[in-house]
Amino acid sequence: MARNRLSIAALALAATIGAAQAQTPRVKFEYWYGLTGQLGEVMAEHCKRFNESQTKFEAVCVGQGGYDRAEQNTIAAFRARQHPTIVQIYDAGTVNFMLSQATYNAVQFAKDFKMKIDWNDYFPGIRSYYATSKGEMWSFPYNSSSAVMYWNRAEWAKIGRTEPPATWEQFERDMRALKAAGHSCAYAFDFDTWQSMEQLSAIHNQPIATMGNGYEGLNAELVINQGIFPRHVANLKKWQDEGLARVQTAQTGKTIVQAFADGTCASMLSSIANHGVVGDTGRPGLDWAVAMIPVYEGFTRHNSLVGGASLWVMANKSKEEYEAAAAFLDFVLTPAEVKWMPNVTGYIPITVPAFNQMRDEGFYAQPKFKGREVSMQSLTFTPPTKNTSGIRLGNFTSIRSEVRSELEAIMNGQKTVEVGLNDAVARSNQILRRFEQTFRGRTLP
Amino acid sequence: MTGKRVTFSNTWLAGLLIAPQLILVFTFFYWPAGEALYWSFTLEPPFGGENQWVGWQNFKTVFEDPLYWNSVRISVIFALSSTVLAMGIALVLAVFVDRRLPGYQAYRFMYFWPYAVAAPAVGLAFRFIFAPDAGFVSALNQWYPGIWNPARNGVDAVILITLANAWSMVAYNFIFFLAGLQSIPRTLTEAAAMDGSGVLRRIADIQFPLLAPTFFFLVVINLTDSFVNSFGIVDITTAGGPARATDLMVYKIYSDGFKGKDYSLAAAQSLVLMLLVISLTFIQFRFVERRVHYS
Amino acid sequence: MVERTPILNILTHLILLTGLIMLLVPLWIVFVASTHDFRTVNTVPMTLWPGNQMIENYTLAWNQSGFGPKMLNSFIVAIGVTAGKIAIAAISAYSIVYFNYRFRSLFFWMIFVTLMLPLEVRIVPTYAVAANVLRPYQELLDLVGLTSLVNTVAGIRLALPEWSMLNSYTGLILPLIATATGTFLYRQFYLTVPDELAEAAKMDGAGPLRFFWDVLLPLSKTNMAALGTIMFVYAWNQYLWPLLIVTDIANYGTAVMQLQRIVPGPLFGEPPRWHIAMAGTLMVMTPPLLVVIFMQRWFVRGLVSTDK
Repeated sequence: MARNRLSIAALALAATIGAAQAQTPRVKFEYWYGLTGQLGEVMAEHCKRFNESQTKFEAVCVGQGGYDRAEQNTIAAFRARQHPTIVQIYDAGTVNFMLSQATYNAVQFAKDFKMKIDWNDYFPGIRSYYATSKGEMWSFPYNSSSAVMYWNRAEWAKIGRTEPPATWEQFERDMRALKAAGHSCAYAFDFDTWQSMEQLSAIHNQPIATMGNGYEGLNAELVINQGIFPRHVANLKKWQDEGLARVQTAQTGKTIVQAFADGTCASMLSSIANHGVVGDTGRPGLDWAVAMIPVYEGFTRHNSLVGGASLWVMANKSKEEYEAAAAFLDFVLTPAEVKWMPNVTGYIPITVPAFNQMRDEGFYAQPKFKGREVSMQSLTFTPPTKNTSGIRLGNFTSIRSEVRSELEAIMNGQKTVEVGLNDAVARSNQILRRFEQTFRGRTLP
Repeated sequence: MTGKRVTFSNTWLAGLLIAPQLILVFTFFYWPAGEALYWSFTLEPPFGGENQWVGWQNFKTVFEDPLYWNSVRISVIFALSSTVLAMGIALVLAVFVDRRLPGYQAYRFMYFWPYAVAAPAVGLAFRFIFAPDAGFVSALNQWYPGIWNPARNGVDAVILITLANAWSMVAYNFIFFLAGLQSIPRTLTEAAAMDGSGVLRRIADIQFPLLAPTFFFLVVINLTDSFVNSFGIVDITTAGGPARATDLMVYKIYSDGFKGKDYSLAAAQSLVLMLLVISLTFIQFRFVERRVHYS
Repeated sequence: MVERTPILNILTHLILLTGLIMLLVPLWIVFVASTHDFRTVNTVPMTLWPGNQMIENYTLAWNQSGFGPKMLNSFIVAIGVTAGKIAIAAISAYSIVYFNYRFRSLFFWMIFVTLMLPLEVRIVPTYAVAANVLRPYQELLDLVGLTSLVNTVAGIRLALPEWSMLNSYTGLILPLIATATGTFLYRQFYLTVPDELAEAAKMDGAGPLRFFWDVLLPLSKTNMAALGTIMFVYAWNQYLWPLLIVTDIANYGTAVMQLQRIVPGPLFGEPPRWHIAMAGTLMVMTPPLLVVIFMQRWFVRGLVSTDK
């Protein structure tokens, strides 16, 4: 009996050794991503699809628990020479990585490893956001979205309107009507600057900072205390105080998306990436749609900005790892994969050919995905201008959090709009100057 | 001062015994701390590479920043109020458990549980319980809309993290108070009772004065702990907001340095925090020393 | 006690009960929330009575976070830290208290100061050290000029090997041992041991190691239990450090690390699945809670006896 078992074990062992010898080991490379939760699972799934699509390479994919953590951990790991080959870095981290001298720039990488990529396939608005001031791509745009307005059709029907408001003036009248009809929260907003500051400025073709939003050099200064943004913040404050709009954040218990999805609030500005989330988690019977973000009267609409993340190839890895990484990036950019992403998330197709195919195949006519094309319209509304190409400011995450804190203070009534935004500008400029000083001697590509 | 009357004199052995600890401390504490100290006088680029010597510039930036002083002010308020709360509750509970009425063991047993709960778990639980739109306390807002909102109101947010912090420290204080009370000879209180002094009288006249050493020891421990170890709670409940209302010193160091990638500014701040805590600990140390001599 | 005080007795029970409620209500709410479904847990006011979704929620939280292997890792790390800390604290405090040499005060202070700068505020340089533990020594060698000396004399470059502790149990354990808590506790304990014991041992001709092993260690049992409990709870509850140094989560992830994965990500507007989050929270806090409950008697005695 015992002998028997032993020989079986020996056989099994021999079999596994045989199998291992027959198969050449795959070349592994590490890929760190920032997305978490459901979207994090999609990232892991994407790796799995790559690993199953071929037998030569293996992507080892590690979720870092958030975009900011992915960036922080990559920096710490790079200092310790333990960094991954590819990392997913969010839009706001672009400058830090461009100046890092720690990356393998995408154009050069694609050339060196003979990737099949055609840079002109990307939508111009996506390309411009991640390109250098000379138009060179240093990273590979990946999961992308833009902001849209989500509105509750049923609530709007109650006030006799079937169309979403196209201007903020109309939006205000609608909110008043909704309140009169007994709605306690016509509009949910939070302190995220991406929608209210960055997207809003872009569609009004207004600068956020001097030097072409920072593209032309590290000595840019923030200018959000002028132009459209102060006006909008003053409106938000007014609407909040009148009981038209309400702040919804994770700390209040429900984010804007949750408050919209469960019907508490009738509208919000949010990423199109949440289209799937609202669809999946919305209250049964929630009748909603998306529209382009309203524009103030007297302004012409411009393209909105892309948001999301791009994939950076890091420096100092082996040739084998780079080959594997190139295969992965090529795989991710095949039309089939670009089309797969919008099916499982709310992200947009990032290349023109993939988008055209999807449109022709009737993707946007499916009830589940209806309305997704709005973000594409918004993103491609006009060719990118100096103010709508993107934002290239050092330590932009810190600037975002400065503005955010001041917005909180303004909405809580601790500061006036003017004082709050002036403070935000002053503090952000300090950050920019420290950044400039830290990177003295390096120039922005 | 640090040693015994009777000692051994095998210096080699002594060195050998202490070596592992010194090596660990050097590798994982002094070297990194030294590096941070160096950064506080330079501008360190996030990805490494050449840094510039800037002298006292980082400290100047820190001390000239009104938000830094805001952070110091909040930290002091937070530390003082959670200390008062945690120690006050613990003291009352200990005094009454010490009366040893039937069932006191059960109380003593369960009072101790919060000690085991991780800071992020405390944060998560309190964030849920005190969320204005969901959870437990949100019911308050149904009666008086807007009365409780830690996401909007800075004072509410400070209350929230103070409660969470105090909650997690009560257990520790309770043990020490109870132990202190139990070390008071029964005969002493009984004699006082014979003389006709009531329960509250005895608490005031006998128990409190004899608890004084424990009390001071705990004050310092609580303060230090609130200054230094409150990261987990803040990170999960308020993340420093709203409008920096809960931006404690240790959290600011983390967010400026690790999140904002300004290692130098963070290093300068950690140095300041360290000096503060060292001075607190110094007071405690002198005190603990004295107590050892008593026993 | 001697006299009858019925009113005060009622008051005592009231106060003690209030205290109990205050301390346990958070835990109760966590438990209740973990037994309801998505909709109930998000209704206001929240119910205070458990629902019927307990098994579903716990199974989901358990599977989603892969708690099986994560808990095992947490145990390995917690026990490693506990054992390592006790061993190192016992001997280093012994050296400080029972030996008379020049630097002992300095050494004690060097160890003691580590209490004052938490890991969070020196995390980047500490991470860099963990990635190559021998780097400080290499740089020291370079600094004192030994490297260049060897280079000129022998013509070889003196290079220590690289030793990375990222993604390893040693990396999770060793930096946590490098704190002063245990050493301090043990020192306080040794100071309370009567001098006569050491005198007697010396008269019997016992060496320092014999004395340590035969006399002090057995005496320090309650102290050991207290330190063990503290360190177990401390190590189990570590959050930021494992989050940073473990990228190979499948093999080295710990249970508390998983907490930040079950918090609904606010950035992406995920639904507030508090029921799952609370189920996970409760599971993560259970092991240290059990340790504290079982060790309570020794723990309290150990802590307190050293403090006096």
